[in-house]
Amino acid sequence: MALGDYLSRKAVKLTRRVEVYRLDAFITEPPEVHTVRKSVEVHALKPELSANVRKVDISRNLKCTVETIDLLKEPAEAKGFQVKKYTKQDIRIHGMPKRRKINIWKATKKAQSLPIELQNKLKQQKNRPAVSRNEMILAWYWPIVDGAVIKLALNKQRGTLLVWYDPRSRKYKARGVYLIRRLGAGEKPEWRWV
Amino acid sequence: MASHNNSLGYMVIEGGEGQLRGIALVTDARGVPADFRYTDLIRPKKLERILYGNSFDTYVKEELILESLLESMETDPQLWICSDKDILTPLRNASRTKTVLLGESTHAPLDAEGSIENTTEPRVFLIQTEANGAPLRAEFAEGARTDEVQQTASLLTENAKTMTLLEPFSRIQRLISALATGSD
Repeated sequence: MALGDYLSRKAVKLTRRVEVYRLDAFITEPPEVHTVRKSVEVHALKPELSANVRKVDISRNLKCTVETIDLLKEPAEAKGFQVKKYTKQDIRIHGMPKRRKINIWKATKKAQSLPIELQNKLKQQKNRPAVSRNEMILAWYWPIVDGAVIKLALNKQRGTLLVWYDPRSRKYKARGVYLIRRLGAGEKPEWRWV
Repeated sequence: MASHNNSLGYMVIEGGEGQLRGIALVTDARGVPADFRYTDLIRPKKLERILYGNSFDTYVKEELILESLLESMETDPQLWICSDKDILTPLRNASRTKTVLLGESTHAPLDAEGSIENTTEPRVFLIQTEANGAPLRAEFAEGARTDEVQQTASLLTENAKTMTLLEPFSRIQRLISALATGSD
């Protein structure tokens, strides 16, 4: 027991008086409570109109009166509604649409079946092989991984070489090939690998 | 010597007048296809036209085609090569791989194979990938580092020993034509 408590009890017993302590509330000022009910202020549109008559022609027996014109005699009715508590289900958020799903097609086999088309690079080739007098170099195709070649075909219209490779081959050493024409009747062009 | 690990990816987005198609080809160091994918022709939906307006092409290229194609690829190349400047930086950002816009040049051959030369254009270099002939024009994406340029030049020069670097672009066009007509 704390010394303070002990002395306090002794004091009660001796004096028959009870000490009363004031406990201040944690919140010194009461919180402001706002109702969610909407209050509507209604202002009637009642302009005071007056007319001053400065000159009246009595001879014509005119009766002049000044009247107040009420543009809006009765104030418009307004109803207040208490704001109800919304649950999450009541709220719908319409965001941006998700990324459109697009079709993607795979055609690797088809791509592998198409040949690689090599251009004639003879103009760029500086170090040409020596050929005999009755030979003429027509074309130079490079690079060709000859160890992986399945088929070669010359596209005579375009002057290109079509190369089909075996996709399963692991050969990567490339060479070049010259197309050499032999002059003379009945002579066939020759492929010469370098 | 080039190896099968030196794979190159070719990304093409073709089309126009509000319809686009994406094509991705990954080849080995010889140019042999390892993965080839393409999308349908994409036309804008009414809501997309309203939402994106003039930026529809950008939305289709970057968000629809590039991201969808890259997600679908089974083979990650060492380098992505494109021929469209619009997709150069988005391709690099989406693939997180080295990316280059590659094309021909009319420049005189540089000193030696593998040489790199600056140009007056920012992030554009000339790379002598083959011993003979004109160097290639290589444009790099925004944020490309110097070592990225060096590595790309080395990879291209190495692969140029076993394949023609720009040839896959024409093959892609032949492939799409063949697929469109259904010919074998």
